[in-house]
Amino acid sequence: MKIRLPKFRPIKIRLPRFTPWSTWVLGLAVILTAGATAGVMVLWKGLSLTNLSDKVPWGLWITIDLSSIAVSAGAFSLCAVVYLLGLKRYQPVARTATFIGLIGYTMAVFTLLLDIGRPDRFWHSMVYWNEHSLLWEVTMCVTLYLAVLALEALPIFAGFGWLRSHWPKLADKMSQAHRLAPYLAIAGLALSMLHQSSLGALYGVLKARPLWYRPDISVLFIISAVAAGMALTVFASMISARLTNHANVDNNLLDRVSHIIGWVLVAYLYFRFWDALAMTYTYEPGRTEGLHLLTGGALSFNFWVGEILLGTLAPIILLLNKRTRSLPLWRMLAMVLVVGGVVAYRWDTNLSGLLIYLSYLPGEPAMSYAAYHPSLIEFLAGGGIVSYGLLAFSLGVRYLRVVDHNVVKANEVESKVIEAIPVPGD
Amino acid sequence: MSNKINRRDFIKLTVAGVAVLAVPQIIRGVQALETLTPSGRQWAMVIDQSKCTGCGYCTLGCRAHNDIPPEISWNVVTKTGTVGTQDVYIARPCMQCTHAPCVDVCPVRASTYRPDGIVEMDYNRCIGCRYCEIACPYGARSFNWKQFTGPNPSVPEWGQPEVARRPRGVVEKCSFCYQRIDRGLALGLTPGIDEDATPACVVACPVGARQFGDLNDPESNVTKLLKGKTSYRLREDLGTAPHVYYLPANEEAQS
Repeated sequence: MKIRLPKFRPIKIRLPRFTPWSTWVLGLAVILTAGATAGVMVLWKGLSLTNLSDKVPWGLWITIDLSSIAVSAGAFSLCAVVYLLGLKRYQPVARTATFIGLIGYTMAVFTLLLDIGRPDRFWHSMVYWNEHSLLWEVTMCVTLYLAVLALEALPIFAGFGWLRSHWPKLADKMSQAHRLAPYLAIAGLALSMLHQSSLGALYGVLKARPLWYRPDISVLFIISAVAAGMALTVFASMISARLTNHANVDNNLLDRVSHIIGWVLVAYLYFRFWDALAMTYTYEPGRTEGLHLLTGGALSFNFWVGEILLGTLAPIILLLNKRTRSLPLWRMLAMVLVVGGVVAYRWDTNLSGLLIYLSYLPGEPAMSYAAYHPSLIEFLAGGGIVSYGLLAFSLGVRYLRVVDHNVVKANEVESKVIEAIPVPGD
Repeated sequence: MSNKINRRDFIKLTVAGVAVLAVPQIIRGVQALETLTPSGRQWAMVIDQSKCTGCGYCTLGCRAHNDIPPEISWNVVTKTGTVGTQDVYIARPCMQCTHAPCVDVCPVRASTYRPDGIVEMDYNRCIGCRYCEIACPYGARSFNWKQFTGPNPSVPEWGQPEVARRPRGVVEKCSFCYQRIDRGLALGLTPGIDEDATPACVVACPVGARQFGDLNDPESNVTKLLKGKTSYRLREDLGTAPHVYYLPANEEAQS
């Protein structure tokens, strides 16, 4: 037998070509690495690296947590529209929303793991139930819903080219999961209705914090989450279709969804207006001051400009006006504003209740003010988590075709047929 | 039999499944409610503001006994004003509420009620989410932002702490020194009377401003104290029903 030596090849140094795609991925990878480093440092050195304190124990990371869950709400609302209301034409949009939801919820889980003092005990809430605790309920719902989203996303992962060529049988089995979709939609709707509102109620049940202690936050949280979830789905679909040829969208469909978002925002603004006005009439110590903090104090710019003007009023006008809604750039701007407004709302809700605290001393309850500015480590880790989300979505667009309003229609007929169809556009 | 289930069946099954899962939990909840009704001993602390001089020995004794890091205080003494020429102070341990917000909000049942009214923390179970810290109206809870290492400056040369140091990443709070109570009772001592069975802060107070005892015992010193005098509790408007009572520095000032 002849031994064949490998042929020696001269080493060629080839610089990677900087395409927009590789620059984007590389940029995200750099932020992700920085964030991961910050995360490891937090796990190693502890939460003393943050600017959180006993006065303000929840800060930037909780905002990212609440926001990533809120912007994932497109998954449950659009799946409910498709499978429970039977409006099948929205299915391609629901598919994108489901993928975004899966990313969003994993982002929330990463952030939570970083934020709790003992990440090694994350499983405790699964074992030691306290059904009186809103946080327990949210944890259970988020965990169960993450499982639902993973099942819902199985057919999406089944479309991965590598999987199809290497494990065709597994890919087939995975794409069969779409038969479960209606049942998963029911489970997803139930779980989401529970925890999207409970994330607000989490604050609303605390009697020690007069600004939060009202039932309205839960209503506002779920309505704003539905708007933001659908808005992010529309935005992500449109920007993907603009930037790559791996995505294509049905403009008509997105226009209809955008119209719905506009009306959801009107409902949100109505409840927010009513909630804020009613709040002043209680003259409760701490509550009035909290409202002042929002409308005239440290958080006032966030509130008036971020939440109300840019976050709600502007997108309502842009989305309910047929002319601006049908112009892609205006529509995309509106979507960004909606998402930004909801993030600002989450930030304000968390901080406005924490920055004011009532003294326990006898006599007239006195207010004190706390301060909080996130530390560099918090920003880095938060940036890392956000760039993980962006990276995961970008890879999904490119390799799983999560924004493809044509493939899905074929997929719905019969998953096996898809194998025979050459992927268009490649 | 067809193994296909339609939407209606699925909903029915889901509802039935949830009901089956919920029953044991509801039973447990009812049992938990029963333990809330006062039976047996109910430990309480009475702090007399007319006697307190603000010396801070209670805080020091507490720190030394429970091995508390310098950044944390289970017992905070604050000056609240003056009555005549005398400064008035208020000491704030954990209120050991009868309806404790911290117990309600804990996602893992790390904070629980003991039958004797003390709110107990399980440091091996706490996940460090800090929700209880946000929920507590009295600021009685502190988070271990870093690991406490090295000698404790509050511990004197003699003696040593009786409680294990808490790990990094959990919330901690005053426990009414229940380890002293439990050990004392086992030895046949009376908490509030015998120093070895009484919380460290009560023992450390040089002016006798703190009293400890069983509210359900008509002969205990706290029952007798509260019977004869005007007393108040902190933030009674919240309905938390603390087990810590205060005797005001000046009775007219309170009435």
